[in-house]
Parts: sequence; C-alpha cells; structure tokens
Amino acid sequence: MEQLNLLFEGFQHALTPMNLLWVLLGAILGTAVGVLPGLGSSMAVALLLPITFSLDPTAAFIMFAGVYYGGLFGDSTSGILLNTPGNSSAIASTFEGHRMARNGLAAKALATAAMGAFIGGLLATTVVVFFAPTLVKLATAFGPAEYFALAVFAFLAISSVVSESIVKGLMSLGVGLALAMVGVDGPSGTVRYTLDIPQLFDGMSIVVITVGLLALGEVLHIASRIHRDPAAERVKPNGRPRLRKHDIKKAMPAWLRGTAFGLPFGIIPAGGSEVPTFLAYGTEKRLAKRRGDIEFGQIGSIRGVAAPEAAANATAGTAMGALLALGLPTSATAAIMLAAFQQYGMQPGPLLFERSGDMVWALLASLFIGLVILLILNMQFAVLWAKLLMVPRHYLYAGITVFSVLGVYAISSSTLDLWVLLGIALIGFVMRRYDLPLAPVLIAVILGPLAETELRRALTVSEGDVTALVSSPTTIILYGILLAALLFSGAKHLHRRARQRTDDSEGNKELIDA
Amino acid sequence: MSTLNDQEAGTLPDGTSPVQPAAAPQSFWTGRSEFVVPGLILALAIFLTYQTATMEVMGSSVPGPQFFPTIVCVLLYLVAIVHIVQIIRHPQPADPTNDSSNPDFSAEMLGDLASATDRGRSKIEGRTPDAKLPQNWKTYSDWKTVGAIVAAVAGFALLLKLVGWILCASALFWVVSRALGSKRAIFDISIALLFASLIQLAFNAGLGLNLPGGFLEGLL
Repeated sequence: MEQLNLLFEGFQHALTPMNLLWVLLGAILGTAVGVLPGLGSSMAVALLLPITFSLDPTAAFIMFAGVYYGGLFGDSTSGILLNTPGNSSAIASTFEGHRMARNGLAAKALATAAMGAFIGGLLATTVVVFFAPTLVKLATAFGPAEYFALAVFAFLAISSVVSESIVKGLMSLGVGLALAMVGVDGPSGTVRYTLDIPQLFDGMSIVVITVGLLALGEVLHIASRIHRDPAAERVKPNGRPRLRKHDIKKAMPAWLRGTAFGLPFGIIPAGGSEVPTFLAYGTEKRLAKRRGDIEFGQIGSIRGVAAPEAAANATAGTAMGALLALGLPTSATAAIMLAAFQQYGMQPGPLLFERSGDMVWALLASLFIGLVILLILNMQFAVLWAKLLMVPRHYLYAGITVFSVLGVYAISSSTLDLWVLLGIALIGFVMRRYDLPLAPVLIAVILGPLAETELRRALTVSEGDVTALVSSPTTIILYGILLAALLFSGAKHLHRRARQRTDDSEGNKELIDA
Repeated sequence: MSTLNDQEAGTLPDGTSPVQPAAAPQSFWTGRSEFVVPGLILALAIFLTYQTATMEVMGSSVPGPQFFPTIVCVLLYLVAIVHIVQIIRHPQPADPTNDSSNPDFSAEMLGDLASATDRGRSKIEGRTPDAKLPQNWKTYSDWKTVGAIVAAVAGFALLLKLVGWILCASALFWVVSRALGSKRAIFDISIALLFASLIQLAFNAGLGLNLPGGFLEGLL
C-alpha cells in the first residue's frame, strides 16, 4: 500500500493554510464558471494560466484542481433552473432536473446534482490513486509507435467518431494541427510558418488559441445572436437544498450506476463526459420504465439527475488519472490542463511521477480536499450561486471580453498576441456559425507536436519502414478499436443520410434537421 | 416567455420548422454561404503547401520537418473538396431555431444513448424553437453587433500601450455591454471603470504584474 503513504504525504503538502486557500479560491471560481452559462472549466483554466504564472506550480495546480471539478459542480444549476444547460456535459441532467424544478423541487434537484458530482468525483479519484502506478508501469513500456497510435486514436475519436460530421471534424483537426506546426521544429531546428515574426518562433501560445476560440469566439457568437434569440424563463429555488434519508436511499443506486459509467470513459479519448452522461441517463430511463416509475419523465425523478451528474464527475476524475499517468488528454478540458503542465515545464506521463512525485501526490490530495469544499459550497450556498444567473448577459460577456484581453496580454505583455487573439476569435466565430466542432482543434494543438515527434522518431528508428507503426500488440489493438469505431460511426452517418433522403422525397422537410 | 412553458407542459412543440423569410431571393448562393469554410481551409492548405515547398530545411534527418506538414496538407485538401461537394449537394438555409448546437458531439448518437423522445432530441440539438429573425433582416448573423465588438477589441490592441489599461479596458467593457443591449449608458461607465480599476489594483498589488499605465502613469 505504497500509494496510501504517498497520498498521506500529499495531504501533508496540501493541508497548509496557503494551499487550502488556493483550493477554496479554485473551487469558488470553478463553481462560478460552471454556473454562468456558456463558460467551461477549460476556458477558466486557460484564462487563469497567464495570471497564475508567478505562483509556484503546486499552488497553481491545486487551484486548477478546484476549477476543474468546480466547473462540473456548477454546470447543472443553469440547466435545472433555466432549462438552458450551461455546458453540454449538463444536458443529460437537465431533463429530469428542470422537471423537478418546475414542480417545486429545485432545491432537491440541486442537492442531488451536487451530491452526485461529489460521489462520482470521490470514487474516481480513489480509483486514480490506486491505479495510477499501474498505468505508469504500462506507459513506461510505450515506445514512439505506441504514443503515436494513442495520439491518432485521440485525434480520430474526437474529430470523427463522436462528432456531428466527420468532414467538419477532420477540418477542425487539420486547422488545429496547422496551428500546432507554427514555430521552430524541435528535432531539426527548422523555422516553420512563422512569417518571420520572431514572437512566433516559440509557436502559437496555447492560451491565446484557447481564449480566442472558447472565450472571445463565444462572445462574438453571442453577439451575432443576442438581439434575435428569446430569453429563457427562470425558476427560483427556495429553501436550502437538503436530502432526506429516503431521497438518499432512492438516489444511491443511481449515483453508483452513473459513476460506473463514468469511470472507464475518463481513460478513453472520446471527448469527455457527454457520452457517459447520456448513457447513464438512458439507463435510468430504461430502468424506470421497467419498474413502472411514474415520476420519471412526468414530475421529474431524482435518479435522472443523480446518475448523469455522478457520471460526469467520475469521467473528469479518471481523465485526470489518464492525463497524469499516460500524458494523454481525453477531453478538451484535460488538454488545457496538459498545456498548464507544459507551461510550468513539466510533461505529464510516467516521468512526472518520478520527477515531480511530491507535486503529483499533493495535487491528488487536493482533489479530495477540493471535492469536500465543493460539496459544502454547493449544498449550503446553492441558492446564492443561483443568483449569479441574474447577472445581465451584456455585463457577463463584457467581463469575459476584458478578462480575455487581460489574460492574453499578461502572457508576455505583447500587443501582437492581442491581434492573434482577435484573428483566432474570428475563426472561432466562423466555426460556431457553420457548426464546426472546437474540441478537435484544442486536442490537435496540444497533441499535434507529440504526434509529429513520435511519428518521426518511430520512422527514424525503423529506417522508414511504415509497418513499424503497427508492429506491437498495443498498437494493433488501438488501431483495431479505432477502425471498428470509425466503421460503426460511418455506418450510422450513412444510415442517417439514407433516412434523410427518403424523408426528402416524401416532402417531409421538418425531419431533415432532426 | 409563456410559449416556452406551454410547450414544456406537454403538447409536442413543432420547434423543427425553420422560420423562412417570406420572399428571400433564391439564388445559387442561398444556403451556400458555407463555402466560406472550405474556402478558408483551401487558403490555409495553399499557404502551408507554399511554405513547406520553400522551407529552409535545417539538418538532414529523415523524415524531416516537411514530412508531417505534407500529411496535414493532404488532409486539408481532401476534406475541403469533400465539403464543397457536400455544400453543392445539400445547401443549408440559415435556420434561426437551430443555432446553438454543439457539433463536438453527434446529437443523433447522444439521443440514441439517452433513448430520448423527439422533444428530448430537439433539446440535445440545442434548438431554440422561439428564435426569430427580425422583420427586415438582410443577413443571418447580426454583423452590426459583431462588428462593434471586433472594432472595440482592435481599438483596445491599438491604444493599450498609449492610453493605458484602465481607460482602454473600461472603454472595451462599455462598448461590449452597449453592443449587447445594455440601456444604462452612464451607469455602465461607472461599472466599467470600477471593473478595470479593480483588475489593475489586483494585478499590480497582488500578483506583481504590470499593466500599462499609459499617459495616466504619473497621476496614479
């Protein structure tokens, strides 16, 4: 039980007053970001990166840990109260959550969501503590070909298997890879695509790309719509969220089932918590039908909120494990966390546990502390957080705009970065307008350099023999799974297209977009 | 507001029929403004191709620095061409009810996973059934508002070093909130100034990072 000793030491590092303050600050920021619609943890971490650069890395990561989980605690609030989920990871819990809210059970729904997020995160982090060393051992056996296969898996799974359109996903992927290639090529020292601008020799800053795509791009998108879309109606929560014994008894199996769905998805690069949350929701729905549960779908079932929330945080928890032990980001948020490590000169992966073991275990310990703080914050003050939804949208987005330019300017006090930011934001706006996915860009920007280096390394070792890329069992398994997933999703797309065509010929135009 | 509630109460909303403008001229370009996307992708691919071909390669490693970019270029050309074909075959008229979709995930796949009803699926797709375009609209996107914000950020980048953080950031905040529909111009000025000053204070005092003071430098 070496892990327990290490974790205990981690707690000793994390439980200093200063570090506790950072966890608290991170948890508050994270919850706020989660509650405010349209903002996610990835954007929050990206905005905090340049500002926290003067902190010592342990403190910064302890704060990021709070933001990382906090974003998932808060994101169900706007879904439950406004029926407009703030993040796509909260759509699944909105269905039953908003039904409960409309029937006067808003506080109970919020409490179920918070408790679910806590349980999912707690179990996932425990799993990470016990299995991280095993993952590390596995990863030390990986060579260049295996890492390249992992990167290709992440690229294609996120851009093609789970996204709305394969072509658009691959376009986003290509844009991200192109952005990642700017700068001096590490292995050879060749200057690439910099237009001879010296500031670009180090490559495009990941902060500028993330803030441009996710923050300022979102502001421009909102601007193009705000005078045209209707306003949503808000349900006021009343009373303090409290769960009675029979509520807990009812929700407990759902929390555990949700967690079970979430755990494996943290390690699979399938873009984050959307797939497991919907899977968990669908399972609860089918179980309710079999049970003859009349609450589900009518007045709102506590189980329909519990399962997806637990699944979301369980995914986030094991995603952190995959990031730390393998260096593999499985979602856009995890990708930004990876960028954060790189900013501090650390490379997540097996070596991280050797070189910065203290920091890693302090980070894992602070994930536990963060969860407890988040549970208290969200159970006791849920009504207070809901007040954030009253901030008028024009002030909210004006604030985001100012924070975006602040964060980007703070990187290196250069106005050139601000122009790059504006350019990337316009790209982000066009991508939103024409439904191009953003996650593949972020994954490509962050994993692109790794993919290129490992590919070249593998081919150099094999002296140009391409079969070296598929010569080990690990790579064969990875490519095999990927191929199966691609074929499956390709068949789905073709099936849908065929159905659209028959609808078309029947003149049933409404169903085309469905 | 109440329509949203009525639909929630049970009757299946017909949120899927796009609101078509009464007499929009039907030209080849209707529903095909999306050509912007493959156009930009092709431009990017051509730029990359030119730069890759004329690159001053250092070292003699094989595969060298041009190897990976070549793969990316091929990918970009391929997807751009396929996308052009798709747009020609299936134009997509602008549909204000189907705007805030999340293309990171296939709504169809998520709907299947959740065994969702039609109403659930329409929600997964992020439809806003009540969204309407204003009466005399010319473009789908509200370019006036977008333009105001782009201009404000550009102005900020131009003037920051000269005028200083507090005034520039306040102006940016003020313009963005005005553009997005705030009605209280004078009140907004005080909020903007307060916000910008708080950030300056937190930065200079708390984090030791310096934001440009501009011509107010001596006064503050």
